[in-house]
Amino acid sequence: MTRRPRKRRSPAARSVPPPTRPQPPSSPPTADPPPADDSVPVLEVAAIERPSDPHVVERIRELESRIDRMIDAHARERESSHDAVAQPSRPEIPRAPSSTRPTPVPEPEGVFDTARELLSTDFYLRKWGKLGLRNRSEEVDEFGYDPVYELKVLPIFDFLYDRYFRVEVHGVENVPRDGRCLLVANHSGTLPLDGIMLRMAVRREHPAHREVRWLAEDVIFHFPFLGSFTNRMGAVRACQENAERLLAHEALVAVFPEGLKGIGKLFRDRYRLQRFGRGGFVKLGLRTSTPVVPVAIVGGEETNPMLTRIEYLTRALGIPYVPVTPTFPLLGPVGLLPAPTKWKIFFGEPIALDGYGPEAVEDEILVGRLTEQIRAEIQQKLDLAVRERRSVWFG
Amino acid sequence: MGDYLRAPMSRPRNLARAEAKPRVVAVTGAAGFLGSNLIGSLEEDDRVGRIVAIESAPIANPGRKTRAYEVDLTEPTADGRVAEIFSAEHVDTVAHLAFLPAPTHAAAWAHELESVGTMHVTVAARHAQVRKLLLWSHTWLYGAHPSNPNFLTEKQPLRAPVREPFFADKIQAEEQARKLALRSPGAIVTILRTAPILGPTVQNTITKYLARKIVPTMMGFDPLVQLLHEIDAIAAFHLAVLRDVPGTFNIVGEGVLPLSTVIKLAGRIALPIPHPLAQSFAAVGWVAQLVEAPPSFLKYLRFLCVADGLKAREELGFVPTYTTREALLDFVSAQRLRDLKLLTEPRVDERKESVA
Repeated sequence: MTRRPRKRRSPAARSVPPPTRPQPPSSPPTADPPPADDSVPVLEVAAIERPSDPHVVERIRELESRIDRMIDAHARERESSHDAVAQPSRPEIPRAPSSTRPTPVPEPEGVFDTARELLSTDFYLRKWGKLGLRNRSEEVDEFGYDPVYELKVLPIFDFLYDRYFRVEVHGVENVPRDGRCLLVANHSGTLPLDGIMLRMAVRREHPAHREVRWLAEDVIFHFPFLGSFTNRMGAVRACQENAERLLAHEALVAVFPEGLKGIGKLFRDRYRLQRFGRGGFVKLGLRTSTPVVPVAIVGGEETNPMLTRIEYLTRALGIPYVPVTPTFPLLGPVGLLPAPTKWKIFFGEPIALDGYGPEAVEDEILVGRLTEQIRAEIQQKLDLAVRERRSVWFG
Repeated sequence: MGDYLRAPMSRPRNLARAEAKPRVVAVTGAAGFLGSNLIGSLEEDDRVGRIVAIESAPIANPGRKTRAYEVDLTEPTADGRVAEIFSAEHVDTVAHLAFLPAPTHAAAWAHELESVGTMHVTVAARHAQVRKLLLWSHTWLYGAHPSNPNFLTEKQPLRAPVREPFFADKIQAEEQARKLALRSPGAIVTILRTAPILGPTVQNTITKYLARKIVPTMMGFDPLVQLLHEIDAIAAFHLAVLRDVPGTFNIVGEGVLPLSTVIKLAGRIALPIPHPLAQSFAAVGWVAQLVEAPPSFLKYLRFLCVADGLKAREELGFVPTYTTREALLDFVSAQRLRDLKLLTEPRVDERKESVA
């Protein structure tokens, strides 16, 4: 049997026997193979396979002419129905029954027919279909990253990266050139743009131009548009299973252990790292012996400075809170536009997590200590960078 | 399919036991899509000696090895009757496939068939000391949640909306099969959770959904979709009949596609509906029998429900021959002919409709 048998024992296939079914040759191929008709591709296949049995050829031809007749009849039927819709006043051309008209009607020409074409619903359906298929990505990866879609929106993020935030990158060479690695960064800004900016920074500035996959909070996937958008851009829902699967593919994974608390911190708490979850990323690193690169992102906190949060009535909608920034509810959606601050991204030295043995994952004290060590390093980098910064806007 | 059924097995000892003597395989739901095709597939396999087809209506044209029995699993005495058949025929393996492929309005009857029917079959299997029970289940039972990992493993809890009888009955059926495994330690219980099955001939919720000219979607949501080709589904059950691997397995095609791409490839027009409104539209549509699924299925249009087929590959040796994309395209090629009325609709199970 072939590796990919198709339509096996299918009732639908039975109703129209496949005309190209290979027949076992009972005698050597006859001298005159059935003449191939250019207009019927199925016939060509039949001719190539040279079914020797004349009965088979006859049967195939009979079936094909039947299919042709059916297609003809159907096409004519549709045409006439569209005529009736488009030009109700036009007198109906009497049509002969399908059996007496074996050849299809010649293509109509002229202004009148163009108008008729434009007025048919089929025309717009075809256009719609073409439009839909134009920018279709051939394949998304198993986590939903769509490279074609990303290319489409990339100019916006290029602009944000180059002109708007003028991202400055320090120490990107600390990220290993290949192999699995965890980037651990502070989370900031009401709109979490830092994942995308981190991804762009590594892709553009790193010598190996590595692709970063970042882990995004669950709550993003609750929202329409936002969830599928970030997913197509390369974000993956933050959970141990996903992270392990990515690291097993030797990917470069960015995590924001502060999570929602990081995005949701008020302006007065800016650049003060929140609790680093429950040390999930350290356990992940220990389990998969992945080195951790601490990353400090400066500039994100001032893009949408959150003054307060509205938390009542929002839970029912599945939203954790509604942010209040100097501009947000006041100016409507426009108020969510980020301020053009100067961004700096600092990459620290990689911290190896493979020397602790397999039972280290269970050692909560060790996990806590390592988490705190990494947190302190990022905090230190943030403090230094914020102290040395002379202006929020110009760096 | 045949090739990899004969391919070298990861566990030769299973093979040795399997080839000791031809098996007697009982198939419930023998007239359904999976049942009838599995019987057809087993008919051609020399390692299966006899097939016992159990169905509530007479089977048209049973094969050479098939013996058909008429049993209605919803009847209270079905367990005794099935146990008698199992004992009389010396049944070795039961493939329990009597499940509905799509939600029905006759929820009470569906409950009797799926949940109570499975209880009857497991009780009968225990009485007749059947060696192995195969159960058909769905990856849908994991439920679609924004908090799902991208690939659900068999260890994940079943979080499908239990208010929906379609899911609740299947979850109960799985529980009963697991109970059988606990109560009769010698028995092998294999649960195959298939991804939504698609192909040229199968008819279920997905094919009905994609057969619409205008396909409703949830505005702003574009979940990843995973499909299984019908041939692969049949092959997986055939494989599970031959190999004795207890446990639960996700039977899925490779790769994922965003729902929007699925609809585009099917040549349909997506109609995005804001999800707060969709719930009530779907409820009205379901009651009025205008839509093919109750509102609890809308979550699957919003969130991810994709399973990991690694365990089936490693332990069962199941490798899908079709990817998600190929399964879809195979369905689309048949659906095009159906749209042009060049193919008749796949056979609707008239009997089940009439009982409902």
